[in-house]
Amino acid sequence: MINSSEFLDFLREKGFSFATGVPCSYFSRMIDEFENLKAISYIPATREDEAVGIASGIAFGGARAFVIMQNSGYATIGDALTSLAQLYKLPMLLIVSWRGLEPDRDFPEHSLMGEVTEDTLVGYHVPYWEMKEEDWQETIELALTEMDETSRPVALLVKQGVL
Amino acid sequence: MTMYGFEIIQELASVLSGDEIIVSSNGNISRQVYHFLPKPQIYLRGSMGLPVPVGLGMAMARPGKQILTLVGDGNLLMGLGSLTTTSFIRPSNLKILILDNNAYATTGSQMTSSGILEYPSLLDGFGIPNIVPILQDDPIELIKEKLQLWIDASELCVLPALVDSNPPTLTNIPWHPEQITEFQKNISS
Ligand SMILES: Cc1ncc(C[n+]2csc(CCOP(=O)(O)OP(=O)(O)O)c2C)c(N)n1
Repeated sequence: MINSSEFLDFLREKGFSFATGVPCSYFSRMIDEFENLKAISYIPATREDEAVGIASGIAFGGARAFVIMQNSGYATIGDALTSLAQLYKLPMLLIVSWRGLEPDRDFPEHSLMGEVTEDTLVGYHVPYWEMKEEDWQETIELALTEMDETSRPVALLVKQGVL
Repeated sequence: MTMYGFEIIQELASVLSGDEIIVSSNGNISRQVYHFLPKPQIYLRGSMGLPVPVGLGMAMARPGKQILTLVGDGNLLMGLGSLTTTSFIRPSNLKILILDNNAYATTGSQMTSSGILEYPSLLDGFGIPNIVPILQDDPIELIKEKLQLWIDASELCVLPALVDSNPPTLTNIPWHPEQITEFQKNISS
């Protein structure tokens, strides 16, 4: 499991001073860690599209935000991506949990979304990487290079037990 | 007497100091802000429901600027939850003007359900400081007074305006959204 405080410190060093989103149980340790790390302001949003809106405003203002969401939440942000963040070229890092896989067999509410998560990322032209414990820093570097080069949202997919 | 939303936007010109950044909601409101107020501003084209969150993010990233968010009732209702987030964060440099024409004017003036809202108690319930709404038959001096109070507020503040719907026909905003973002990069903090 990636150490939450190391993870947030790393993103802070990469220039992220804001975070927003809606929780997933996969991210509970990370969200608790915001309490200790005052250098990143966390804005609890009521919906994931609202969070993309907030991150867009932050990007318009020249700062950087990452957005935390469950893949069920990713399913609700299509218009916020296509008619705002992607259209206006507003960079942001989406950290998306990948529920609905084998460990979630008792959670049928996630099954279909788990199956189509990659298809919807591809469908909406969002470059994405699966983040694994072994090489998470390199993966984030790759994602942020793409984010900076294209000035658009990119995503990290996170399976259970990684964060 | 009638007071149209675009007339409120025109009135805004006289209270702006020039140091504000406006975030305007999609459709007619963005077009009117483009045509009647100083440029450049952040003209949203899509992202219906998100002008309040965009204004909130902008206010946090640019604490030295006054951020004015102009939102139609259709947009407000689609993103109503963002009022909670805004109240929770409470940026003192964020001001929200609700232009409630009780309609989705941009798509052909179909009615919205906003007519049942009672703004002062709604906003009080959200814990958001607010000014007595602008009403259709307010004399122009009173409207200017309310706009001035709103823009001068030292904390987060919402001004609802109940207006008539009869938008003028205006040409589309000629700038590509990417240009709108570029212009913001050149505005000093
Ligand atoms: C998600 C989404 N649904 C529907 C539309 C179509 N649409 C564009 S503008 C608009 C009305 C906006 O209403 P309001 O905020 O009250 O502003 P007004 O048009 O009255 O000035 C609608 C429904 C859209 N752009 N996006």
